Amino acid sequence: MGALAALLLGDGRLPVGGHTYSAGLEPAVAAGLTRDRVPALLRARLRTTAVTEAAGAVLALRAAHRTPVAYEPVQRALAARMPAAPQREVSATLGRGVHRLARRLAPDHPAVTALAGLGSRPLRPVAFGALGALGAVMGVTAAELAHAVVHDELQTVAAAALKLLPGDPLDSVAWLLAARPDAESAVELALAVRTPDGLPARAAPLTEQWALDHARRERRLFLA
Amino acid sequence: MPDHENRPHTHHAGRPRALRLGVAGPVGTGKSSILAALCRALAPELSMAVVTNDIYTDEDARFLRSAGVLPTERIRAVETGACPHTAIRDDVTANLDAVEDLEEAYGPLDLVLVESGGDNLTATFSPALADAQLFCIDVAGGGDVARKGGPGITGADLLIVNKTDLAPHVEVDVAAMVADAEAARDGLPVLALSRKDPASVAELADWVRALLVRHRAGVHVPTDPGPMAPHRHA
Repeated sequence: MGALAALLLGDGRLPVGGHTYSAGLEPAVAAGLTRDRVPALLRARLRTTAVTEAAGAVLALRAAHRTPVAYEPVQRALAARMPAAPQREVSATLGRGVHRLARRLAPDHPAVTALAGLGSRPLRPVAFGALGALGAVMGVTAAELAHAVVHDELQTVAAAALKLLPGDPLDSVAWLLAARPDAESAVELALAVRTPDGLPARAAPLTEQWALDHARRERRLFLA
Repeated sequence: MPDHENRPHTHHAGRPRALRLGVAGPVGTGKSSILAALCRALAPELSMAVVTNDIYTDEDARFLRSAGVLPTERIRAVETGACPHTAIRDDVTANLDAVEDLEEAYGPLDLVLVESGGDNLTATFSPALADAQLFCIDVAGGGDVARKGGPGITGADLLIVNKTDLAPHVEVDVAAMVADAEAARDGLPVLALSRKDPASVAELADWVRALLVRHRAGVHVPTDPGPMAPHRHA
């Protein structure tokens, strides 16, 4: 199931609420980001938040394969690396959609039941890790999962750009291809993380400030 | 099952969960006014909540809050990423989250109204989100709208021909428009409505009450009016 499952995980049509999210683009645009700076935003995210996201998902995937399944350390480490409250809330909202899908696919799988045992809603990387661990249904390798998370991050920005900074949609494919070296190093960094303590905490202060501003904004298209 | 989400018709304790009624229809046909009218008529007897989907987060929610027909915290708006049709049909995640949050905070609820962002004639609710749906068109959109059809017009549980009080001003024959709609709907009900005609509003409220009775009795089966019909942008 691996290769197909990996494609499903990174597919924006996966019905888990991804269309409500711009991966930080709408807050950035509100702060003045222009279309020509989208590649720079992609690079910035690939070197900061995307590494943490992908590494968190990989740690959750590995946790899901152990008995008993314990996600708390990953969940706590992730939350500590999302200092702006709206970022944690949005991650939990997006994780909720992934959790709902995992429950539908394999409600009694230990990797899924352990999500409900967390004290709070699973953050999105944790839910992705659980979903990716569903062997017969959705099983993926750590590398496939990290690629899917990073790919999803890039495509989320690119798709939201079509709404927020309209231009030729073909441009966005070129943006993603140009971002490939940074995307590959984000995946490598994520795979190298072995423990929740080692989860990278790369600060992205502007991203955090924009997320705080966005949470107070009324006329928005996207959750974040 | 660890939760109630995979059992669409029962609540935690086996009580039927709230009826989820979708309200769809093109922009400007009066969906928000219908929601306000339903809240005004039914909130005294039912525990209700509302979810709105608009292009920008909360225009419709603000309209309803300012109408004062329901406690403001029972009216939630969801972001649709500029995809209102996706949010009620292809990927209902954000709306399900909002409905479940309202049930958790104020439940048990009797009725949750979900208003679609005004889209075109082809956007209808997935049964994964709405147990039943109203589709709203209006006389000001032209007398031939009902004849043009589309999944909402032909298949919604109730079709509303709204703003009948404007008919003389736009030279539309309401009776003919209703007859066209009935012909397109193969026996499904059509209601000519005006917020200035209290009898028509009472008829709408009665239709919802009767639907709620069927929902609670477990005999109402959600039906899908159909997917987005092929449409051209000529």
